[in-house]
Amino acid sequence: MQLKKTVSIHQALALASCSLLAGVQPARAEGWETSASILYYSEQDRVQAIEPVVRVKKQFSEDEHLAVQVVADSLTGASPNGAVPTTTPQTFTSPSGEKTYTTPANEIPLDPTFRDERFALSVEWARPLGRELRSVFQGHFSGEHDYKSMGLSATLARDFNTRNTTLTGGLSYNSDEVDPVGGVPVGLSDVTLRQRISGTENKQVLEALLGVTQVLSRTTLLQLNYTFGQDSGYLADPYKLVSVVDTGGIPVSIVHEKRPEEHIRHALYARTLTAFGRDVLHASYRYYWDDWGVNAHTVDLRYRLQFSGGHYLEPQLRYSLQSSAADFYRPYLPQGETVEHVSADYRLATMTTTTLGVKYGIPTRRDGEFALRVGYMLQTGDDNPAGAPGQLASQDLFPDTKAIMVQLNYSLLF
Amino acid sequence: MTDLVIERAEDHCVARFRAMAGPCALLIDTDDESLARHLAHVARDEALRIEHKFSRYRDDNIVARLNRAQGETVEVDNETAGLLDYADTCFRLSEGRFDITTGVLRRVWRFDGSAQLPEAAAIEALRPRIGWQRVRWQRPHLTLPSGMEIDFGGIGKEYAVDRTASLLAAETGCALLVNFGGDLAARGPRRNGSGWTIAIEDPQSVADVQAGTIHFELERGGVATSGDTRRYLCSNGVRYSHILDPRTGWPVPEAPRSVTVVAGTCIEAGMLATFAMLHGPQAESFLDAQGLRYWCLR
Repeated sequence: MQLKKTVSIHQALALASCSLLAGVQPARAEGWETSASILYYSEQDRVQAIEPVVRVKKQFSEDEHLAVQVVADSLTGASPNGAVPTTTPQTFTSPSGEKTYTTPANEIPLDPTFRDERFALSVEWARPLGRELRSVFQGHFSGEHDYKSMGLSATLARDFNTRNTTLTGGLSYNSDEVDPVGGVPVGLSDVTLRQRISGTENKQVLEALLGVTQVLSRTTLLQLNYTFGQDSGYLADPYKLVSVVDTGGIPVSIVHEKRPEEHIRHALYARTLTAFGRDVLHASYRYYWDDWGVNAHTVDLRYRLQFSGGHYLEPQLRYSLQSSAADFYRPYLPQGETVEHVSADYRLATMTTTTLGVKYGIPTRRDGEFALRVGYMLQTGDDNPAGAPGQLASQDLFPDTKAIMVQLNYSLLF
Repeated sequence: MTDLVIERAEDHCVARFRAMAGPCALLIDTDDESLARHLAHVARDEALRIEHKFSRYRDDNIVARLNRAQGETVEVDNETAGLLDYADTCFRLSEGRFDITTGVLRRVWRFDGSAQLPEAAAIEALRPRIGWQRVRWQRPHLTLPSGMEIDFGGIGKEYAVDRTASLLAAETGCALLVNFGGDLAARGPRRNGSGWTIAIEDPQSVADVQAGTIHFELERGGVATSGDTRRYLCSNGVRYSHILDPRTGWPVPEAPRSVTVVAGTCIEAGMLATFAMLHGPQAESFLDAQGLRYWCLR
């Protein structure tokens, strides 16, 4: 009896000490932190992207900071246009209508005119509201030659139970403008007709988040989030096409895709952080579903091996299974079938994405860190959907996407 | 600013300075003296910050503000609230033996090694001014009845040790040992794969060794000592420890002379050592039940 009681005193003390010291952060009042990173992403035979990011943060007090982040993206390369491969070469007109490109026989058509530069600026302001409530307000703007996006978000967090429990709630609103090269195509219209909607199109995105973070033990933290999203307006990809094929699987026409103008999304996310001595295991699972019929499961595992001198190695495995495609996803459309919505965008198909990566971090003098991350991604889908007519039965309708990514990150405090 | 001395030892650097009314040392497993100097400044700044903020000997800090409140409710900052939560937990876990309102008894109990015991009536007169159960604590609001006082004497230094160790660990990956007047926290292991060697003094009196100073290795965790080797009273052959039982207003009878405990953190080790002292003759049996390393000196 006595033994049991005293052991529980020790455990209770350990827990109380842990929560007292949990909030220890460098009391870096009024410090500046700058971090810069550059990401190189390259898909085999397809898109390449270079993305530099610079972030400057000014810490006013423990709970108050202002941060400004600038991102510049540059994408080049070729992206699938949605049409099916055929036994003969196919010629397409570029979205601008000014150029043509020809896809060799038996290859998935890729639009080589794909090219984009994006610039994004975001500002974040975190401050306490009273004793218990912390808030983060964000605003962002991003622009590309054919897309502009502006958004605002607010997140509130409140600690309970001597900081062992944190409840988080957030709202965000985004207003986007789509102004595609060559105009906004009319959904389901034949590409050769070049039917366009005048002016630009808009898209609104509303998101709400509810989350709870719980300290489970002195080594384990659990986070649960639910995100609700509502998109409305022009949700199609103006550059994606769908092949209409005859019973021999030969395209008789090619039409622009058309998607619903409403999209309701849900995501449940669970994450645990567990310390094993100095090492940390990071495991997360996300379940996504939407009213377009898409379902996806994503598991992400990372294990941080902490070495002496502050070096660390962090292998990562991410596996994502999009188990159910959008109801209107069709790799091709049989001639004569009428549909309300259709898209052959492979991102709406069933597929699996596996990413293997490793990150290595080295502390630099004082407070900085230099990190290098390399990753390999493999995306596979249904190469030969059942019932593909004629020549399509012998085509690979979902070629694998392979990509490598390399990211360098440097942070500096002063 | 107090002096800060950096010394180069054989395979590490040592920084020495004074804070928390005693000598402080920082051992860093590096040969880079400028890094050691930077870390020593961080450590000293943090020690002085906590001393300044929570010392009971100042009249310009939160402790003075709380003790002067005359029954008014005071809203405290997050850090103070954390310490009050911790003190509250310790009060409940020790069934009222550990109490941060006990300090008023020091007005009558002076542990100077003499034979001067206070008048029983003087102790009785102070007892209504002691008892955490009379305090209303609802984070972040503290209402201390008029006449009562709090102090973080049993927590503050250990807290400073752990906090400093955490701050330094955020700055460097080097193994290090924080030592504020004998209360320690280690972050390891060292480059040579071992821990830091800790010595406990006064070997003749330590119960569980035959002779020689006790040495043990600490890779990570905290060590703290609660003791009265210099602070006690002796009257009619009875040794009165400076550990006061708030429930009686008298020193805990048959308390060990000192207890050293190794635990996950310094603040945890310190509280376990204090709890052991408060158990008086049962100190060892209390400690045995923890399954921790400890040295109890009678």
